[in-house]
Amino acid sequence: MAAPTAAPPATRAVAGAHRRSRPLGHERRRAAYLMLAPGMLHLAWWIGVPTVATFVLAFTRYDILAGTMAWAGLDNFVAIFRDPVWWTAVWNTVVYTFFTVPVAMAIAVVIAVLLNTNLRARAWYRTAVFMPHITATVAIALVWMWMFEPNIGLFNWVLSWFGVRGPAWTSDPAWAMTSVILMSVWKGIGLKMVIYLAALQGIPHDLYEAAEIDGAGPVRRFFAVTLPLLGPATFFVLVVSLIESFQVFEQFYVLTPEGGPAGSTTVMTYEIYKSAFQRFDMSVASAQSVVLFVFLLVLTIVGRRFTGRDDVA
Amino acid sequence: MTIRHRPVLRAVAAAAAGLVALAACGGPAPSGGGGDGTVSGEISLLTPIFEGADGAAVLEEQLAAFQAQYPGVTVKPDYTTYGKLNEKLTTSIASGQPYDVMLMGAGWIPPFAEKGVLADLGLEPAELGARYYERAVDAGVHEGKVYALPIMMDTRIGIYRKDLFAQAGITEPPKNFAELREYGKRLTQRAPDGTLQVAGLDVLGIDPRQAFLTMLWAAGGELFGPDGSPAFNSPAGVKALQTMADVIQVDRSEDVGWTTPNSPTGNVMAQGRAAMAVGHHHFWTQIQEEAPELIAEDKLGFFVITDERPAMFQGGTLATVSAQSKHPEAARALAEFLASEGPVLAANEQRGNIPSLKSLESSEFVQQNGAIQFAMQNFEHAHSEGGVPQWLEIRDKFKPAIESALLGQKSPQQALDDLAAEASAALAGR
Repeated sequence: MAAPTAAPPATRAVAGAHRRSRPLGHERRRAAYLMLAPGMLHLAWWIGVPTVATFVLAFTRYDILAGTMAWAGLDNFVAIFRDPVWWTAVWNTVVYTFFTVPVAMAIAVVIAVLLNTNLRARAWYRTAVFMPHITATVAIALVWMWMFEPNIGLFNWVLSWFGVRGPAWTSDPAWAMTSVILMSVWKGIGLKMVIYLAALQGIPHDLYEAAEIDGAGPVRRFFAVTLPLLGPATFFVLVVSLIESFQVFEQFYVLTPEGGPAGSTTVMTYEIYKSAFQRFDMSVASAQSVVLFVFLLVLTIVGRRFTGRDDVA
Repeated sequence: MTIRHRPVLRAVAAAAAGLVALAACGGPAPSGGGGDGTVSGEISLLTPIFEGADGAAVLEEQLAAFQAQYPGVTVKPDYTTYGKLNEKLTTSIASGQPYDVMLMGAGWIPPFAEKGVLADLGLEPAELGARYYERAVDAGVHEGKVYALPIMMDTRIGIYRKDLFAQAGITEPPKNFAELREYGKRLTQRAPDGTLQVAGLDVLGIDPRQAFLTMLWAAGGELFGPDGSPAFNSPAGVKALQTMADVIQVDRSEDVGWTTPNSPTGNVMAQGRAAMAVGHHHFWTQIQEEAPELIAEDKLGFFVITDERPAMFQGGTLATVSAQSKHPEAARALAEFLASEGPVLAANEQRGNIPSLKSLESSEFVQQNGAIQFAMQNFEHAHSEGGVPQWLEIRDKFKPAIESALLGQKSPQQALDDLAAEASAALAGR
C-alpha cells in the first residue's frame, strides 16, 4: 500500500481554504439570492414584464375596449412618425430640455459654490434651495399656476410696477413653454446643487492654495480649478437631468393642461398619456413609449461614453 | 391574425398600461358570490360627478338610501372627474376588473356600447320617454338599444349681463353672428393703456370644442354627415370658427388668457369682467355663490346662440352597467336607483345641472334656477356631440385645432380641414 503523497504546502492551504469557504460561500450566495429576491421580483414584475408587454403591444393593433389584438408590424411607428403632433411633442421636449438642463445646471453650480463658503446660516440656505426638489411637483405647479395668472397673478403684478403689461403666461402659445421652463428650472436646481456641493467638498484645498500662490484670483480659481474638477459631477448631472427632462409630465399637465394653448406645450410623455388614456389606443401609446425609450437609451449611452464609466458621482 | 383571448390580452395590456400609466389607478375588484339572480354582492361605482367633499357627501347619503333598499348590496364608490374618467376606465378594463356601474357622458355611450363594454339594459326607449326627457333618453340609446339611464343634462347657451347691456344701450340679445360681434365690440371696455377691463363677448370661458360646436350648429352646420364622415369643416363650420376668431383678433372683444374654462379665479360674469358669453348654464349656480345680488336684482339674461338657426349644445351624464359585471342585478338596481328622483335631484342640485326626469320640472330647485328653466324651454334647439364609435378618439383633437384658429396660427378653414383629415383617419381605423 502506497503511502499517501503529501501535497505541497500551498496546495494544502488552498484545499483547506476551499473546504472552509465552500459551505460558507454557498450559504452566503444563498443568503444573497434570498436578499436580492424581493428586489429582483419587484423589478421583474413592475419593470420587466411591462417593458416586454410594451414592446409586444407596439407591434400590434390592440383594441382595449373590444379585447382584440392583431399583428400590426411597423404600422404604429409609421403612424406616429406621420403624425405632426408627435413631431411637435418631440420638438417641444427637446426645446424644454435645451433650456431647462443647461440653465438649471449653471445656476446650480453658482449656488453650490456660494453655499460652499463660510456663509452665515448656510445650512438654512441649502435646505431652502433643496426644498423644491422634495416638494410634490403638482403642488408646486398649482402654486405657480396662481403666480402666472394674468389678471391677479404675482408676476404680472410685479411687472405692472414697471409699467409693463404682463402676458397671459400659460394661455398664450408664445409664453406657455417659457412658463413651464421657468418653473422647472426653479424646481430642478436643488438636486443639482446638492450633487455639485458634494463634488466641491471633494476638491483638495491645497489646489486652491497652490493656485492662489501662483497669483490666481477667485474668478481664475473657479475656471481653472473648480470647474475642471467638477467635470465628472457635471456629466453625471447632465445625463440624469437629460433623462429626467425627457420624462417631464406633471408640470405640463397642471400648468398647461391638454397640451397647452393650440398644443404649444405638448411633450412626448403627454402624447403617450393621451394616446393611452384619452384615445384608448394602447398600441400607439406603446410605440411612442418605445421611441421615448430609445431616446433615453441613446442619451444614457452617450452620457456613459463621455464620462467613461458607469457611475461617476 | 386577430387574437380574441381576453385574459391573455388583458394581462399584456395591464402590464403595458402599468408602464405607461402616469397618473392612473385601477378600480376595486368585484367581490365573489352573487350571480345567482339575487340582488346582492359588492359592486363598484365609478362617478365623474359628485366631485369634492361636498359631492361625496351627497353621494354617500344617496348610497345609504340605496343600501337601506337593498341591504344585500355593498357599493364601493370611486370618485373621479370627467378629465380623468378615461384613465379610470382604461385601467379597470385593461385589468379585467371593470366597474359594475359607470357614470359617463353622452359621447361615451356609442363607443362603449359598440365595443361590448356596456350591458344592454333591455328597455324600450319609448318606455323611458314617459319618465325622462326625450333628448336625455336618446343619449343612452345606441342602435335602438338602451345602454344607459339619464341622470342629468347640461347645455351651452348665450348669457349676458342685463345691466351692462343697458349701459351700452343694447335692448335685446343678439339674433345672429353679426349682432353677436357688434354687441361684443360695444360692450368691451378697455383702460386708456389698452388693458382689458370688461370683455364684450367671452368665448374662452368654456371648453373650446363645446363653444365651437354651439356656434357650428347655430350656423346651420353639422358635426358629421349622414354617412358618418366629418362635416364640421363645411362653410357653416368655417363661418362659426371665423366668428370666434374675429371676436378675439379683429374685434378684440376679449384677450387670450382673460379667462379659462373652470378658471380658479372665479366666474368672469359674476365679477363683471365679461358682459356676454357663450357659456354653460351652470354659470347660474356659480354666480349665485359668487355674486347672489346679480340674480336677486335680475341682472342675468340668457339667449340661444342664433345665426342660421337657434342652437344649444347639450351634454349629459348617464348611468351604465358593465357587460362584465359579476353582479348584474345589483349593478342594474344601482343604475336605476341613481336615475330615480331622489338621487337625480340631489346630483343636479350639487352640480347645478338639468334633471333628466320630467317629474322634477316642478321641483323648487328647477323653479328657482333661471338658467335651467331657460334651457328646458329651448330643448327643441339642442344638439349633442358624438354619434360615431370613434368619437372619443376624435374629440380631444378639437381643442388644439380650435385654439390654433383663435390664436391666428391657422386660418379657420385650414384648422378645420386639418382636423377633418385627422378625424377621417380615426374613422378609417387609424
